[in-house]
Amino acid sequence: MNRRDFLKGLGLGTAALVTVNAEAIEKALSVAPSGAFQPATTAARDDVAHVIARLSFGVTPDLYARVKRIGAKAFIEEQLVPENLPDAGIANRLQIYIPILNQNGGVLAQAENKMRKAIAGALIGSTTTRALYSQRQLYERMVQLFSDHFSLYIGKGNVLFLKMDDDRDVIRPNAMTTFRTILGASAHSPAMLVYLDNAKSEKSHPNENYARELMELHTLSVNGGYTETDVKEVARAFTGWSIEGGKQSKNGETLFKFRKGFHDNGTKTVLGTIISNNGEADGEKVLDLLAANPSTAKFVSTKLLRKFVTDNPTDALIQTCADAYMSSNGDIRTVLRTIFNTDEFWNAPPKFKQPFEYSVSVLRALDYDVQDDATFVRSMTQPLTSMGNIPFDWPSPNGYPDVGAYWMNNLLPRWNFAISSANNKIKGAQAGFDSLNKLLQANNVSTDSSSALAFFGQYLFGRPLTDAEHETVLQFADAARGDEQAQIEAGLALLMASPAFQYK
Amino acid sequence: MFNKQLTRREMLRNTTAMAGIAAAHSMLPMWMPKLAFAPANSAPRGDVLISVFLRGGADMLNMVIPHAEDAYYAARPKLAIPRPDTSGSDPKVLDLDGFFGLHPALAPLLPIFRGGEMAAVHATGSPDETRSHFEAMDFMERGTPGDFSLHTGWIGRHLSTLDTGNNSPVRAVGWGTAVQASLRGAVSPVAIKSIADYHLGGDLKAAARMMTAIDALYKLDSDTLYASAQATTSAIDVVASISYQNYQPQNGATYPETDFASALKQTAALIRADVGLEAACIDLGGWDTHVNQGGVEGEQSSLMTEFANGLAAFHTDMGADMAHVTVVVMSEFGRRVQENGGGGTDHGHGSALLTMSGNLTGKPVVAKWPGLSPDALNRGEDLDITIDYRDVLGELMTNRLHNPALDKVFPNYTPTVPGLFKS
Repeated sequence: MNRRDFLKGLGLGTAALVTVNAEAIEKALSVAPSGAFQPATTAARDDVAHVIARLSFGVTPDLYARVKRIGAKAFIEEQLVPENLPDAGIANRLQIYIPILNQNGGVLAQAENKMRKAIAGALIGSTTTRALYSQRQLYERMVQLFSDHFSLYIGKGNVLFLKMDDDRDVIRPNAMTTFRTILGASAHSPAMLVYLDNAKSEKSHPNENYARELMELHTLSVNGGYTETDVKEVARAFTGWSIEGGKQSKNGETLFKFRKGFHDNGTKTVLGTIISNNGEADGEKVLDLLAANPSTAKFVSTKLLRKFVTDNPTDALIQTCADAYMSSNGDIRTVLRTIFNTDEFWNAPPKFKQPFEYSVSVLRALDYDVQDDATFVRSMTQPLTSMGNIPFDWPSPNGYPDVGAYWMNNLLPRWNFAISSANNKIKGAQAGFDSLNKLLQANNVSTDSSSALAFFGQYLFGRPLTDAEHETVLQFADAARGDEQAQIEAGLALLMASPAFQYK
Repeated sequence: MFNKQLTRREMLRNTTAMAGIAAAHSMLPMWMPKLAFAPANSAPRGDVLISVFLRGGADMLNMVIPHAEDAYYAARPKLAIPRPDTSGSDPKVLDLDGFFGLHPALAPLLPIFRGGEMAAVHATGSPDETRSHFEAMDFMERGTPGDFSLHTGWIGRHLSTLDTGNNSPVRAVGWGTAVQASLRGAVSPVAIKSIADYHLGGDLKAAARMMTAIDALYKLDSDTLYASAQATTSAIDVVASISYQNYQPQNGATYPETDFASALKQTAALIRADVGLEAACIDLGGWDTHVNQGGVEGEQSSLMTEFANGLAAFHTDMGADMAHVTVVVMSEFGRRVQENGGGGTDHGHGSALLTMSGNLTGKPVVAKWPGLSPDALNRGEDLDITIDYRDVLGELMTNRLHNPALDKVFPNYTPTVPGLFKS
């Protein structure tokens, strides 16, 4: 980048730069997420490509044609009701994981470290497989969102084993219900109770960890109107929300247990509301208060908008969604439908993909077929580790960041993933070049590299390549060693490593 | 499969154009000036700054221990470390100055303290009252407690306000998979997880062509992403040039096999290769010890061992070169004085900051110690802050990094000088 370009980017003249360089950078950064730095080449893409990019984990050879046929809005409606969407294929894909996925975490924990890798593999592998192949793409995006909202770190103690239960019984069944429902399920989740230490919280020394994160990260948000006193009072209300496991429970399962003897029977005041002694119901009352609080409505809306629209949604847009949340008692689908009906959704600026999203979008675009799950999971571990985005592996309770600025300075592993994927080097899986070839045929695209790469550019970016992009990709592809197929694969690698494909 | 007839003309056109791009590209040394960079101040480079962040709120009261305080022992029947002098059974506090001492797991650092190349500042931290990890970290890394209006980090602002004549792509490195918030605002910092893996896949020729094509495509894109891509391709070249696989730590240093030590070792390699490193950020997580923190042994003790062994190896490796290196170690807040019922500690306020440098003034612990009596505590339960952490970093800026723009790095704050660093 030359100096002029940099100045242009910062919107400043030469004279200004000499003295205010720091301010200029500051200014540039302060507006970065709102779209000032969106890719220069964002010719409007069609609605079909847009809903695919935003509601799913990325385009596949079949998906564009199907959504084109039924229409972008019909696709949204279909995705909002996943229970009516046939998804038979996924069961076969998950078969190898099912024996582990269906076990109670406490039982798995007894297998201890011998099984640790297999269990982590089942959790990460099933999540990746669902993102790759489920027809219920929006639902899987919501599972991803709530897995981060109620983040659990599988690297801490026994959380890995208990996360199996949390994924199966807490997040997945409730990802499109009401916020109060999933919040309540999470509050009862042995994984959460262990991760945030509430399982050991007793009236003599209430542990504040869960109480604090419940308000800061799960509901009100950090400036949502609670005090340090509220943290202590909520901790008291949740004393006794614990687990039982091992010999005390049936079949060695780890389950939620309210321990009456741990519970603080005194009166608590939470956000100005007096909670008198009702045992386990004290905690439920706190959850009611929090889920119905306007700060929670705004915070949950912000999370959803950040996922589906933009890193920095406006206050007005947040309020629109928060109103939908409040009037529907926190019904997730209602808020989603509200979002998908806003102009801001349809005109959303490009959003930088998280690395997991990016990796899955590469494999989906190339119609990868996973053939040996264990090998596949192992081969995905290295790139996802280099990118810093293995599912359930974020070490703190706030979940993976969902803003582009966080991820933008680590491009190299993405480029390498594009290269190895386009070279059919993802072990345990096979790139679907035949499907891509059929796609060319179905669209009457000639198979010379110029036409084919122009088509694939459109397919991947959701908009036509610019002349400059087309020329760069074509020159690179044509100079690659090998036959036509090798050249087109080289072109695909570059297209997927390109800036436009880092965005959704 | 992809059948294609390439005409001879197309072939020629493509080859020529490709060669043109490659030639234009290779005329520029890949890691020479990337961005026009004209900050108000210029000065020769100072020390290499290494910022270590202990994520999770490290319980510094059990790391740099006020062993002369009865209140410490009263508040921590399970967690307290036995006094150095007595009666107390081994292992016990390693005394530093008759009042403070180190946790026994920090023993590898004791000789460095004794040799005057490490010091602790106690009862310090960010003055904002938040007990939220994320808010507290964010404030500390921005360098603007209580204020979210600036989006840059304190190290980023330091680098962007001082022209040291250095445009290296590895001027600022965040070890890991994303750049730390304190580096935000530096011109294109790069995140590197592993030097050994920091290259493009495929054979060398294909990789070189890919880099050229990637550069051309990102040039068409936004300035931020292009800057990041350019920093990446340039850093790949620099990193390739230092042959890290042959790096031999000096003075018999042996780094442990941990991510933390690996980041320090790679930092040492970049320093020794003299490729323009000015600032590096390293994270060590796991310090949020609400339960089962342990005393002499246990979870926190294991973390301290990992921390101390890594840092001690780095110190040995650097040897006399510590004269040009300053390490600062901080955490987002301290933990409550009173231990809790789960054998741990909840979120607190005041903490300690550690520094390692060849240019310290010599006191092992610098503090305006407020004491641990109930009336001296913040909110009646947490260690108070009597030295703002920006005082320490401000003096570091001035004395070790030659940056006079303190008002830009820490706006709306006038640091006082704790007297820690020689100029």
